[in-house]
Amino acid sequence: MAKRALSWRRAAAIGWRDLKSAPGKFAFVVLSVAVGVAALVGVRGLSDSFRRTLSGEARSLMAGDLSARIFHDPTADELAHVATIMKSGAGGARSTWVTETVSMASVPHDPVPLLVSLKAVDPSEYPYYGTAQLQPAMSLKDALAGDSAVVADEFLIRLNAHVGETLRLGGRTFRIVAVLMQEPDRITAGAGLGPRVMISQEALKETGLVAPGSRVSERLLVKLPDSRGRGLTADAAIGAMRSQLESALPDAQVMDFREGNPALTRGLDNATSILSLICLVAMVLGAIGVAMAMHAHLEQRMDMLAILKALGAGSGDLLRIFLLQTLGLGLAGAVLGVAAGVGVMAALPSAFGNLLPVHAVLGVPWQSGLAGLGTGILTTLLFCLPPLLDVRGVRPVLVLRRLVEQGPSGLQGRFARWLKRWPQLLLSAALVLPLIGIAWALSDSAAVGVRFGAAFAGALVVLLILAAVTLAMLRFLLNRTRLGLPSSLRHGLANLYRPGNQSAPVLASLGTGVMLILAVYLIQVDLLRDLHETASPRLPNVFLVDVRTDEVAGVKALFQRHPGVTHTPDLLPVVLGRFLSIKGQQVERMKGQHFPLRMLESAELSWADAPPEGDKVIEGAWWKDANASEIAFGDGVAKRLQVHAGSQVELEIGGGTRALTVGAIYRADGQHPGARVQFELPSGLLKDQPATWYGGTRVDPRQIPAIERELFVAYPTVTVINVADVLDRIESVVDQITFVVRLLAGFSILAGLMILASSIASTRFRRMREAVVLKTLGATRMRIVRTFSVEFSVLGLLAGSVGVVFANVLTRVLLRRLDVSFHVEWGATVIALAGTAILATATGWIASYRILGLRPLEVLREE
Amino acid sequence: MIEVRDARKWIQNGARRVDILKGISLTIPAGQFVAVVGASGSGKSTLLGLLAGLDTPSAGEIWLDGVPIHNLVESQLAAVRGRKIGFVFQSYQLIQTLTALENVLLPYELNLEGNGIDKARRLLDEVGLRERMDHYPLQLSGGEQQRVALARAFVADPPIVMADEPTGNLDSTNGRHVLDLLLERNRKMGTTLVLVTHDSEVASQADRKIVLKDGLVVEDTLPAAAASEALVQSEEKNG
Repeated sequence: MAKRALSWRRAAAIGWRDLKSAPGKFAFVVLSVAVGVAALVGVRGLSDSFRRTLSGEARSLMAGDLSARIFHDPTADELAHVATIMKSGAGGARSTWVTETVSMASVPHDPVPLLVSLKAVDPSEYPYYGTAQLQPAMSLKDALAGDSAVVADEFLIRLNAHVGETLRLGGRTFRIVAVLMQEPDRITAGAGLGPRVMISQEALKETGLVAPGSRVSERLLVKLPDSRGRGLTADAAIGAMRSQLESALPDAQVMDFREGNPALTRGLDNATSILSLICLVAMVLGAIGVAMAMHAHLEQRMDMLAILKALGAGSGDLLRIFLLQTLGLGLAGAVLGVAAGVGVMAALPSAFGNLLPVHAVLGVPWQSGLAGLGTGILTTLLFCLPPLLDVRGVRPVLVLRRLVEQGPSGLQGRFARWLKRWPQLLLSAALVLPLIGIAWALSDSAAVGVRFGAAFAGALVVLLILAAVTLAMLRFLLNRTRLGLPSSLRHGLANLYRPGNQSAPVLASLGTGVMLILAVYLIQVDLLRDLHETASPRLPNVFLVDVRTDEVAGVKALFQRHPGVTHTPDLLPVVLGRFLSIKGQQVERMKGQHFPLRMLESAELSWADAPPEGDKVIEGAWWKDANASEIAFGDGVAKRLQVHAGSQVELEIGGGTRALTVGAIYRADGQHPGARVQFELPSGLLKDQPATWYGGTRVDPRQIPAIERELFVAYPTVTVINVADVLDRIESVVDQITFVVRLLAGFSILAGLMILASSIASTRFRRMREAVVLKTLGATRMRIVRTFSVEFSVLGLLAGSVGVVFANVLTRVLLRRLDVSFHVEWGATVIALAGTAILATATGWIASYRILGLRPLEVLREE
Repeated sequence: MIEVRDARKWIQNGARRVDILKGISLTIPAGQFVAVVGASGSGKSTLLGLLAGLDTPSAGEIWLDGVPIHNLVESQLAAVRGRKIGFVFQSYQLIQTLTALENVLLPYELNLEGNGIDKARRLLDEVGLRERMDHYPLQLSGGEQQRVALARAFVADPPIVMADEPTGNLDSTNGRHVLDLLLERNRKMGTTLVLVTHDSEVASQADRKIVLKDGLVVEDTLPAAAASEALVQSEEKNG
């Protein structure tokens, strides 16, 4: 009984021998896959490491994953509820209470007490993230043992005290054991009223400072179990814990680490989006390269395919050989890529040493490695299937004659030929689906997956059409002018549209490569510019608290004349008021709104007759009349209280009651002092009330102690809060993001260059015969070089133009989604254009070098 | 038996139609050695391609042992080629990446069950290549490569062998050797042999000579015995 299939073993042997016959060419294919996979592994591995590091930084600004703040002692019920959550629901979550209050403190040699911002922690738990840096260096647990305290430098300056002395707090005496140089949650802990003094929770109980009715703030810090899950998993865990805390502590202000600093959060989000995009770009570039190389390879193997068919092989047998071959190439490339990706990650710290602004622990990225391996093999197979299906059309009669049958001419003929390739067309179109699936898996987002797949397919189709139209126009022009052109130029241009040439696909793939490389570059440039513009440099690193109205001018003048101050302090007035009702409901009866009533009963109000700098009106409109009976709410408070433009509120200010309409809801950018004020009123309603001014400015960190001393002498009641160390950490995070984005863009650009080279190199074998025929007719090597140069450079220029236009469009669309402004980069555009032409020509020369040296007979004899 | 009924072949290049075969009818009984001769471009190789199922006619019919191969789809044609026909080409057409033995084995592996390795070895031995079995085509001379191609054509025991200028690239000694091997197969095993050639000496050894010119049969010379047998068959058919 006859069988009708080549065994897998024999197919593998034929495929393997075929691979061995041209190791150079296949090395190129393997390298293409490897670069894509290495980029993928590197991007995902680095991205994972940096996400962990950056998340850690963001968490350290809060000292926990979540915090819940209440303005009273937690009740027994609340404590029990929290304990239950920690034990059961979150599977190993931990929590600790941090108490903050104000108190008077004094030192023995100065009888005048100082108002201090007292913080009590359990040093065996606090902080969950970040570290409390002490001088002399010691652990917080050691420092806060027994009757010990650590204090801010400002405390020692104001009271002229030293480490080793004692301070008196409430009814107890504490020994100052260290200076608190850095406190991880300084920003989220709140401004406070005076320099920081930190003691243990145990010690606080013994001071007698906290009694029923005391004005204390209790902050519950929560640390979720170390989750290896990224993205959605971690988000889900935080969301679940958040709702549990909101239910356990109904009037608590619950926050998670992502809200800690808006600029940082936005930077992280943008970086995450761009990293996912770069992953996908690198992957697709590699796959396109392999597909083009396989297409060229099959064209070279036509003779072998025809022989096999003549001997009785079916299309399935041939497909089996080349499928195994592709699988082998994909596997080799993927393994090499994973090794390279892991190697690069491992080499980074030792190669760059201290220059590396990365503090991440770069472990072996097993997950990323497996993802790279799978994605490399899968995309190679998927993208190679359409060209592999061409084996169906190989005619065995080729073994007898090489006469090329072109079929009927005209549109109808062309359509018929396209129709004949329906499986390839169908498969190419269907490729969008697995591509979406891979993009989905890599980006953890269905939306990103769908958009990426659709955009990629759309761009490729448009590029193909554009390439075909451009070539048709060129042909039209040449038909009218060609005889007037020098022969090298004419011949080179004619090469672009000779029968069997792959100019349109090469142009489309070159264009895609240029588009992706340039888009990655443009996006990273704009993203980094945005990150630097909106993040650290303008954030105030010194805050001023409790400035009286009559001191405002003097304080501003003091800062202005001091060296190292980059901005005059932005000071804003705060008047205390009391909300009586919100939307008709009495405030004292409002319960369970997850909003501290204390903030309504002692509300900090400010005035502005136009939206303050950094605030953006998101609902309603700002008042024009300085005496309008209106109020504006910050969006966070408005959301919690379910207040909208048009809502009615009653407010008591300076003994009088006012009925006000909510005119606007605004969102603060978190970079201006106004961000801490949640209620703005027209100036006419507030400016005659006694106000306290708050503000911030940017000062050279080295100058801060000098300014503090000078300010203390001139204005002893003004408190200075130095957050320079925290800002330094934010800047370091931004630097890390910058470094990562540049590194990853470099990976992608390298992958793109490989693809450009393979696009040109894939046409090498088609030129071989042409070169030897020209040589036979007497052409010199130089003449052939000129002809090829014309073809390559025109191809490069056309592809560059198409790519540049699409890159700018793509960047604009993507940046708009990320809410980042787009700038045309003329320099990069010109370099991309010229670079593509030069690269195309250079690669063409390199790929044609051996062809130029061939003796005509070597090739013609083989024909 | 191979039967060709008014077979035509043309190719369309743009708006231009090129007629290669313009209507050919002939019958080749099993076991016959037919030489197809003609000038370059007369359509010899195209006719061979149609007879072997390597290509399909633009019009007309080709029957192989009662099977209308002009109607078959590609997979069925591949099966016919694999089981019924052995090929020998002027330029050998060996797979360069496989050894001589692997090349010979290939039709067996593609078309038959079981292990054909012993048979492949025996055939290579018969064509005088016992010591060269593990050599790659590039390591063999032209004559040796053609003998590998012969062994490959015989390995699946096809009832028909088609040869396209099998001696065209060989010197006279090697050409003679190859032709002897083909004739031996034809005579001992009764294999039908269709051989395209320019060489009148080779053609003279055939049972029958078909001359093509401009896509038409201009001469079909049957040996005397075969001619009378064909005449008897024709009369019986016509009643």
